Amino acid sequence: MPRIRANDLSFHYQQTGDGPDVLLIHGVTGDLSVWLLSRTMEILGRSFRTTAYDLRGHGYSDVPPSGYTSADQAGDTIAIMDAMGIDRAMLVGHSFGGVIAMHAAALYPDRIEALVLSDPSFAALRHLEDLGRWGHWEDFRDEAAEAGVALSAEYWYDLAKFFDQVMHLDGEQLLRFRQAVGLPGLNRLLRLGKTTCGDDAQSVAGLTEEVICSVTQPVLAIFGEFSPFLATADYLDRNLRNCVGARVSGAKHRAPEENSEGFVDRVNRFLLETSASTLTGVRS
Amino acid sequence: MTTIPDRAAILREVSSVLAHELGVSPTMPIDERTRFFADLGLASIDAVVLSEALQRHFGRTLPFHDLMAEIGRRTDRDLAIGELVSFLVENLKL
Repeated sequence: MPRIRANDLSFHYQQTGDGPDVLLIHGVTGDLSVWLLSRTMEILGRSFRTTAYDLRGHGYSDVPPSGYTSADQAGDTIAIMDAMGIDRAMLVGHSFGGVIAMHAAALYPDRIEALVLSDPSFAALRHLEDLGRWGHWEDFRDEAAEAGVALSAEYWYDLAKFFDQVMHLDGEQLLRFRQAVGLPGLNRLLRLGKTTCGDDAQSVAGLTEEVICSVTQPVLAIFGEFSPFLATADYLDRNLRNCVGARVSGAKHRAPEENSEGFVDRVNRFLLETSASTLTGVRS
Repeated sequence: MTTIPDRAAILREVSSVLAHELGVSPTMPIDERTRFFADLGLASIDAVVLSEALQRHFGRTLPFHDLMAEIGRRTDRDLAIGELVSFLVENLKL
């Protein structure tokens, strides 16, 4: 299993292809397999040296007790690039991976050439969204309720509270919960629940509206057609200097899984256009 | 002449790799009906690591990209060990 040491942690990664560097960053509770299940690695690997890694606390990477803010993990991205000898890269981040990518672009503008933000939800922009619209969450909550786990409607996005509830289930309840909500990686979820990830992922951690709006690199803001975060999509389109908006048909929050062909095709086109362009700072 | 392992032999190899590389110690013996995710409690990231281990074990590159994409299209995102055996039988012939 390929591993690389960065920020005093060991990260599991996968790499394929040759060409300009692209890094793929998954979301909280996910892992790099999403990029294989969706063929993202395979298709981007035809034109780019494509690297996916498991975030700290996830998959086969180390699980430190703390350090899970977008600022901390933007630091991981840059440290991994350093360890791999990658000077500049384009980042593709899904959900919280998009928040990490945005933070990396803001903190290290000379290292990040372009961004694909797939359905990110920024703590600093949470006031924009009507959180009750997330049908995916409502379905999940109903399934969990049938398994005896009551998840708060008010705090649905509160991972710390979610982890806390799941960790207090007994063995039989855990089995029912896992079967009901289809969470195969439950042991890893419980492991993550013992860290500060839940709270850290909700903190602004310096990625304020002002900092978000300071990003000038080319951005593809790609959201599911039925994403719960379309107000964020509109905000990015209006406020970033160099942003292209896109919708993935039929998808909700998880476009790489819900319409992988539509997602990968659009991302690939953006990266090809961006890497071919010698112009920067121009809306494409 | 290269000998192609039969299904039973491949199942033994897969069980051995699961035990030694992923630390899987199921309460029931693994057979072809055992489901990767629902029965063994594994996740798709384990399938990524297992695919690397199997390629190392058999000494060749196998089209796991296709198998992963196929799992990605499934509603339950699960895989019976028998399907993995079939995949290996088919691709080890080439």
